[in-house]
Amino acid sequence: MLEIKNYSKSYDGGKKAADNVTLTVESGDIYGFIGHNGAGKSTTIRAVVGVLDFDEGEILIDGHSVKDEPMECKKITAYIPDNPDLYENLTGIQYLNFVADVFDISAKDREEKIKKYADLFEITDALGDQISSYSHGMKQKVAIISALIHDPKLLVLDEPFVGLDPKATFTLKEIMHEMCDRGTAIFFSTHVLDVAEKLCNKVAIIKKGKIIAAGTMEELTEGHSLEEAFLEADNG
Amino acid sequence: MDKKNLILLKTLLLSTSRVNILKHSKDKKKKNKIIAAYVGLFFLYAMIMAYSILMCVGYGMMGIIDSVPAMCALVISSLAFVFTVFKTNGYLFNFKEYDMLMSLPFESSTIAGCKFLYMYIKTLPWYMSVSVAMLIGYAIFAGVGPVIWLYWILLSLFIPLIPMLAASFVGFIIARISSGFKKTNFIKTILAFVFIIFSFSLRYIIENFFENGRAEQTLENMSEATEKASGIYLPMGWFSDAVTKGNIISGLLLIVVSAALFLLLFRIVGRSYRNINSALKTHAAGGKFKMTTQKKRSLVTAIAYKEFRRMLGSTTYITNAAMGEVLAVILGVATLIFGFDVIVSKVTSGAPIDAAILQPAIPFIAYFLVGMMSTTSCSPSLEGKNYWIVQSMPIEKKTLYQGKMLFNMCLTVPFMVFTVLCLCISARVPVINTLLYIILGTALCAFSTAWGCVCGIKHMRLDWENEVEVIKQGPGVAWYMLPNMFVVMILVVLIVFLGVRIDHKILALIFTAIAGVLALISYKRALALAEKR
Repeated sequence: MLEIKNYSKSYDGGKKAADNVTLTVESGDIYGFIGHNGAGKSTTIRAVVGVLDFDEGEILIDGHSVKDEPMECKKITAYIPDNPDLYENLTGIQYLNFVADVFDISAKDREEKIKKYADLFEITDALGDQISSYSHGMKQKVAIISALIHDPKLLVLDEPFVGLDPKATFTLKEIMHEMCDRGTAIFFSTHVLDVAEKLCNKVAIIKKGKIIAAGTMEELTEGHSLEEAFLEADNG
Repeated sequence: MDKKNLILLKTLLLSTSRVNILKHSKDKKKKNKIIAAYVGLFFLYAMIMAYSILMCVGYGMMGIIDSVPAMCALVISSLAFVFTVFKTNGYLFNFKEYDMLMSLPFESSTIAGCKFLYMYIKTLPWYMSVSVAMLIGYAIFAGVGPVIWLYWILLSLFIPLIPMLAASFVGFIIARISSGFKKTNFIKTILAFVFIIFSFSLRYIIENFFENGRAEQTLENMSEATEKASGIYLPMGWFSDAVTKGNIISGLLLIVVSAALFLLLFRIVGRSYRNINSALKTHAAGGKFKMTTQKKRSLVTAIAYKEFRRMLGSTTYITNAAMGEVLAVILGVATLIFGFDVIVSKVTSGAPIDAAILQPAIPFIAYFLVGMMSTTSCSPSLEGKNYWIVQSMPIEKKTLYQGKMLFNMCLTVPFMVFTVLCLCISARVPVINTLLYIILGTALCAFSTAWGCVCGIKHMRLDWENEVEVIKQGPGVAWYMLPNMFVVMILVVLIVFLGVRIDHKILALIFTAIAGVLALISYKRALALAEKR
């Protein structure tokens, strides 16, 4: 579903923020992307979702090039940034309707989806309020619902659990499993290694823009914890 | 315009619509503020309309009513160009929700085009106030029929488009060039300054082109100049032809050319939109910092320094805040090179004014430029989402605003002193008068700073989507700028009038006392308002 081939990105023509990154996320994968702060996770994710231009390599989503066919890619992708910048003066429901309109979702379908996910995240009552009155976690929940509204084939999340309460974290993990069972590919970055270990079937570790380890969870951990595997790869 | 464009445009408008806030907010205070802002806004529109109608009445009485349509097109085009020059960088590029919009299935050209249309719709009421008022004035003297009324209003909607597209194109070129440099923001700011200064100089370039420095002095020449301008800037002529002669082809030309240029521009912009924004929104982390001796600053100085860094970090902020200072330096240097008399003659288009009588107005001339904008009128709102940082710190509220005021003084006073010195040297003003003018200029800067702060705190708005909303369109800035501009103009006339009767030194002292008292009142008011925040 997602193929990143020899992707490189340097800022201001200087140091490489991503250096020859190559990885593949198959349908049904929950792929964790881990690394230190500033390792290149967000740079890679932003290039995948078509926000950031890049210098070298190729990124394909369902066989479509992010560079050459961005619209084809975006139609089947959903992105949840780490700190979602939503339109603060819209109400939650106005924002969700905006995204649903962009993806041309029928009135019946959007009603169904919004109700389902808003109930799960327990924010139905707040949807009529302005986003500016929401807490960080509530904004995150609205961003998640907006990403799920069009049944994406690829879900890309940047630190999705930051700011979510324990119940919402659990709900999101359940939703991710459910989507994965339906064949959706999920690619997300996280610092929480425990979550990654329990949730992902594949993991890549990035350090200073380079992938230093990647594979299935079993291949990477070889009987150890992900934390140990991460520290070993990081020190190596 | 397809469905997606409409969805995005509608959402952009809704996201900054005060009506939407009024409808959904539960905060009564906020609602009252919005209603007050609307009342203020309608008052401003009414003022513009009254001024435009009076101008047309003047033209009618002078027998040159035929020039009104061309003049209307010229005024709207100039306003549209100048408004857009200052806003285009903040609206089209590097906006806050760029990541969210780019990750949705929108073409880059759709996003850029909708951002442009959003900017156009937001400023349209200003242009239409001028247009409708001039139409009323024109109709009083020319007696036009209902078809022309409709035709005029319809075409007025298109007049601002071409100048706005031209300014946006330049903004795009600036962003494109600067995105190729390591110091993207720095290059962008320099290029923006160069372009704005060039735009301001356009009047003189056009005058030279006409080779008639006294063109506007006689009524015949005024009419002639408008005709010439229509010949050079074709849309002006098309509008004039359409509404005076009922020429359908001219009207169609205006509409079709505007639409074609819009489509062409955003096709071009769309191609490198992601590239430009990637460069503007991301910066290399050098990772080469070595810990050296760090400086300790007083609390007020630390806040002032924070304000300085905030200004440097935003092209929109710096071009708006420091433009007056740059123009003041240009005026000062130009006066030194060409002489006070020559500059006075140039600015007044050769009107028979003795430059010597303008000497007491020197501090006001310098202040007119450096006090054009006060950073304190928008910096309280610019805290935006970062307001929690200063709120959670052990800083007294008044200290925060004292820091903001200190920064504005540091920004304005040196430039004011430089300009006053240049003008005084060139005009051979006695040393003692020069010193008094510098003191008067400083008192005026203090007033500007404190009055700006009153407006900035009173109309503080933290929930903005784009900083342009508070820097260019904020009620704080509007309430500061308009009265300040008019008061300075009146004071210039008053001091020149009094200057022929009263000794210049005494005059300077009187005005220093007045400005000082006003500054003190404003300062006290600002601190009182700060405590309520």
